[in-house]
Amino acid sequence: MRAELRWIRADLRARRGQALLTILTVAGIVTALVTAATLLEDGTNPWRGLFTRGNGAHIWIHTKDTPDVVALRGLDGVTDLAGPYRSAPATLASRGRKVPIALQETPAAFQAVARPLLREGRWLDVRDPDAVVVERSFARELGLAPGSPFPVTGLNGATHALVVAGLAESGDQGFYPDWAPGLVWTLAGTLDVVEPAAGRTESVVGLRLADPDDTDLVVQRAVTVLDNQVQRVSTWREVRASMELDNRLLGLLLALFGIAGLVAAALALANATGGRVLGQVRDIATLKSLGFTRRQVTWTLVAEHGVLGLVGIVAGLVVGRLITAYALPDTVVVPLSPGPFAAIALGTGLVVLGSVWVPAWGGGRTPPIPASPAAPPRGHLSRLARVALLVRLPPALVLGARDAFTRRTPALLTVSGVAIPMMMISIGLGCWSTLDDFIRHPERVGQAAALTVRPGDLTADEALRRAAADPDVAAVYPGAEPDALVPWQTRTVRTRALGRSADPYPFPVVEGRMYRDRGEAVAGQGLLDLLGVHIGDRVRMTIGGTPLIVRIVGRVVEPEHDGEVLSFGLDSLAAKDAVPQFYSLVLREGADPAEVRTRLHGMSLDVSQVVNPADRLSIIRMIIIALVVVLALIGLANLLTASALGLRDHAPDLAVLKAMGLTPRQVMATLVAGTGLLAVCGVVAGTAAGASLSAVLIDLEGRESGVGAGIGRAPTPGMLAASVLVAVGASLLITLIPARRAARARVPHSAR
Amino acid sequence: MTGTPAIKAINLVKIYQSGGVPVPAVRGIDMRVESGEFVAIMGPSGSGKSTLVHMLGGLDVRTSGEIWLDGTRADTLSESGWALLRRRKVGFVFQFFNLVANMTVADNVELPALLGGATPRQARERREYLLGELGLTERASAAPAQLSGGEQQRVALARALANQPRLLLADEPTGNLDSRNTKDVLRLLSDVHRKGQTIVLVTHDARVASMADRVVSLLDGEIVDDGALPRARRRPAGTVGDVVELRG
Ligand SMILES: Nc1ncnc2c1ncn2[C@@H]1O[C@H](COP(=O)(O)OP(=O)(O)O)[C@@H](O)[C@H]1O
Ligand SMILES: [Mg+2]
Repeated sequence: MRAELRWIRADLRARRGQALLTILTVAGIVTALVTAATLLEDGTNPWRGLFTRGNGAHIWIHTKDTPDVVALRGLDGVTDLAGPYRSAPATLASRGRKVPIALQETPAAFQAVARPLLREGRWLDVRDPDAVVVERSFARELGLAPGSPFPVTGLNGATHALVVAGLAESGDQGFYPDWAPGLVWTLAGTLDVVEPAAGRTESVVGLRLADPDDTDLVVQRAVTVLDNQVQRVSTWREVRASMELDNRLLGLLLALFGIAGLVAAALALANATGGRVLGQVRDIATLKSLGFTRRQVTWTLVAEHGVLGLVGIVAGLVVGRLITAYALPDTVVVPLSPGPFAAIALGTGLVVLGSVWVPAWGGGRTPPIPASPAAPPRGHLSRLARVALLVRLPPALVLGARDAFTRRTPALLTVSGVAIPMMMISIGLGCWSTLDDFIRHPERVGQAAALTVRPGDLTADEALRRAAADPDVAAVYPGAEPDALVPWQTRTVRTRALGRSADPYPFPVVEGRMYRDRGEAVAGQGLLDLLGVHIGDRVRMTIGGTPLIVRIVGRVVEPEHDGEVLSFGLDSLAAKDAVPQFYSLVLREGADPAEVRTRLHGMSLDVSQVVNPADRLSIIRMIIIALVVVLALIGLANLLTASALGLRDHAPDLAVLKAMGLTPRQVMATLVAGTGLLAVCGVVAGTAAGASLSAVLIDLEGRESGVGAGIGRAPTPGMLAASVLVAVGASLLITLIPARRAARARVPHSAR
Repeated sequence: MTGTPAIKAINLVKIYQSGGVPVPAVRGIDMRVESGEFVAIMGPSGSGKSTLVHMLGGLDVRTSGEIWLDGTRADTLSESGWALLRRRKVGFVFQFFNLVANMTVADNVELPALLGGATPRQARERREYLLGELGLTERASAAPAQLSGGEQQRVALARALANQPRLLLADEPTGNLDSRNTKDVLRLLSDVHRKGQTIVLVTHDARVASMADRVVSLLDGEIVDDGALPRARRRPAGTVGDVVELRG
C-alpha cells in the first residue's frame, strides 16, 4: 500500500494542472446533470416547489360553519393548521363575461402555513380594504395585472369596485382553468362587504401533516371528527396531479442528455487516464521491474484516476446543489429530490470507475522492460517522401498522413476522442432542431390549433359563429373529449373527438392514414401499446354507456397523456354525445395567437391558448448550450493530450525529418497534418454519426414514452456545417500549439 | 561445484515473433553463476545479451529451457510470481530510464523497501544509508531529471540494492556515461561485489568487463566463450573456478 500511495502522491504532484482539469471536467458534467434534472423536475412538477416554499397544507377541508379547530389540531399526524378562513363565491365581470371566483379570507400578516407566494405587485394591506390578490394562473387567463380593476358581484347582486393589488401563486390549489373557480385572496373586512350574509360563506381549514403518506387516514379521522359538517375535501395529491405537466417530451429529451453527459464524462476520464498511462509506460515498466505486479499497477491507476473522478463528482453534486439553490432562485424552489440525485451520483460513479478501469487494465499489462520504448515503425520515410515529391504533394502532408495511421492505438484514441464529443454535440443540436420544429410547426406534434374556445354562456352555434368570423382564424374544428371504457382495462382512456370525418382535424399522422369515415380512428403510440393493438385493428369501447366500435387506421404523434389517446371525428360518437364541448381554432399562418385571443376575449368568448411543449422546454436550450460547451472542451482536451503524446513519440523522428531537409515550418506542418488529419476524421465521423443518430434516438425515446416515433429531427445542414467548421478550426489551432513548440525546439538526439 | 548456484540456466531459448517471422534471440544457453560471483556478459549488438538478463530477471518470458534462482525453479512462475520474487531477490539496473520521473531521488530509492513491506521509517533509514554511501545525500530531494547521467545511474544502483537482493542484474549500466562517471559507477559495483553481492553485468566495454570474475561472450544468441579472468581478485567468498558448464 505504501509504495502505491507514494507513487500516486508523486504523480499527482507532478501534474497538478492536469489533475485539476480532470476534476473540473467531471464536476462540470455532474453540475450540468444536476442542474438539468432539477430544472426538469421543477418544470414538470411545479407543485413541489410551491408547496415547499409556501409551507402548504396537505389537506383542505371545506365546511359549512367554522370547524372544531381544537379537535382537528388534536388529530394524530396533524402538525399545524391553516385557517379556518371564510370563503365566499362571487362573480367577476371581465370583458362582458361573468367569471365565477372564490373569495377567500386571508390575514394581512405573515402566515406560517399555506401562505400564498406573492409574485407581482404587493400583498394585502389593512389600510387598503379594496385590494385583492389574485391567483396568478387565473390572472394570466383573464389578463389581469396589479392595478387592474376587479369588479366583483356578490350573490346579492351588488357590485364592488375592487382593485388587483398583487398576483400570487399557491401550492394549495391547481392551476386555472383545470382548477376552478379562480382563487382570490381578500381581507376579512372585504369579504364581509361582498358577502354580508354569513350563511352563504363556507369555512376552509388546511391541515399540515407530519407525514404526507398519512393523508388518507387523517382525512377519514377529520371527517369523523367533524361529523356531517364536511362539504368537500381536497388533498395535496389532487393538486399535484393537476399541476404536473402531462408531457413526456421534456423527460425524454433530458434522458437523452443525461446519457450524453455520462458518455462525455466517461470519455473525458478514459482519455485522461489513457493518455496518462500512455505517457507513463516507462515509469510503469520501471515499477514492474522493481516488483510491482500487474494487479498492483492496475489498481494503483484505478485508485489515482478514480479518486480524481470521484472528487469531481462530489464537487459537481455540491456545485449543482449550490447553483440550483442560489443562482436560480426564481426558477428553482426546492433542490432535486433524493431519488434522481442518488441516481446521478451512482450513475456517474459507476461510469467513472468503469472508464478508468479500462486504460488502467491496459497499463497493468505494460511489459516490465523500461529501457525499450515502443519503437515506432521506421524506414518508409524516404520512400514515401520521394513519392510525395514525385506527385508534387507537399511533403509535410504526406509525411503527416503516413504518420497519422502508422500507430494504430493512439490514432484510434485520437479519432474517437474527437468523434464521440462531436457525435454528442450533433445529438444536442438534433434536440435543438426538434424543439425548433415544435415551435415552428406545432401541427407536427398535434397542436395545429393554437386556441381553444369554450362556449361558456353562449350557445355553441353563437360561439362558433363569432370565432369563425375572426379574420385570422383559418379553420374551426368542433371537439369533445369524453372518457371511454375499454374492455379489460381497469381505467378509462381519453378519447378525442375532433373535427368531422369529412373534415378531419389535421392530426400529425406518421403511420397509416387519417380517418375518413365514421367508425375510423387514429391513435397515439401509448394507446396502441396499452391495448396491444395495431393499425387496422378494431377497438370496442363504451362512451357514456353507449358502445362504440372504431377501426384504427393510423398512428399520430401524441404528446398528451403518455400517448394513450384515441382520436376520431365527432360524428363517430353517438348523437347524444356528439355535442361540441369546445372548438379548436387553427390560425392563419403568421397570426399571433395572443392577439387573436385578446380579440376573441373581447367578443365574450372563453378562449384558452394551447401551451406548446417547447415553451416549457426552453430551459433545455440553456442546458444544450452548456453541454455543448463542456463537450467541446472535452474534445479539445482529448486532442491536446493526443498531440502531446504524439510529439513525445516523435522526438526521434523530428531529427530524421530535419536531417531530410525539412524547414521548421515544414516540420510543424507535418506534425499538424498528422494530428489534424485524425481530428478531421473524428469531426466528420462524429458529426455524421450524431446527425443520423439524433433523429433515431429521439424517436426511439419517443416510442418508449408513448409519444410515438416521428418527432425527432436531425440538425439542419447549416447547423452541421457550422459545427464542423468550428470544430475543425479549433482542432487545428489546438494541434498547432505543441507542434509550434516542437518545431522550434532543439532536436533531441535520441539516445539509443 | 560448491553450494547452490545463484543462477542456473538450462538450455534457455528465446524466440521473438516479429511480424510473423520467428527471431531467435537466445538459442540454448546453459549457464551457472555462483553465489557472490561477478559475471560480465559481452558480445556485439543484437547478440541477445539484454534478452538473456531480462529472462533471468523474469522481465521477459522464456520460450523454452529452465531458470533456477537460488536453488528454486523460477521459469514456471507467473508474471506476478516473478514480480514478488524480484521484490525480494533481484535488483535491476538498465542503461536508460531507471528512475520514476515524477518521484524524487529519495522516493525512488525508498520505493523497493516500501514495496517489500518495510515501514516508512525503515525505508527512510535504508535510503539515507545508501545515498550516504554513494555521496548523494544532498541530492535526495532532487528530481531525476536534475541529476547528471552518472548520478542517475548511481541512484539506480542504490535503488536496485535497497532490498539487499541476492542478485544484481545490470544491462549496460555505464553504456551512456562518460569515463569519469563510468569510473564512479564501477567503483560502486566493485564495492558491493567485495561485500559478497552476486552480479551479472552486460557490457560492451572491455575495461568494465575486466573487473568481473568471469566473462561470458555471446554471439548470435549462443555462448561462444566463457572463462575466468586470469587476474586474481580479492574476494571474501566464492572461488573462481570452473563454474560454468558448457553443454552442447
Ligand atoms: N521485443 C522484440 N521483438 C522482436 N525482436 C527482438 C525484440 N527484442 C530483441 N529482439 C531481437 O533479438 C535479438 C537480440 O536482441 P538483444 O537481446 O536486445 O541484443 P543485445 O542486447 O545483445 O544488443 C536482436 O536481433 C533483436 O532484434
Ligand atoms: Mg542490449
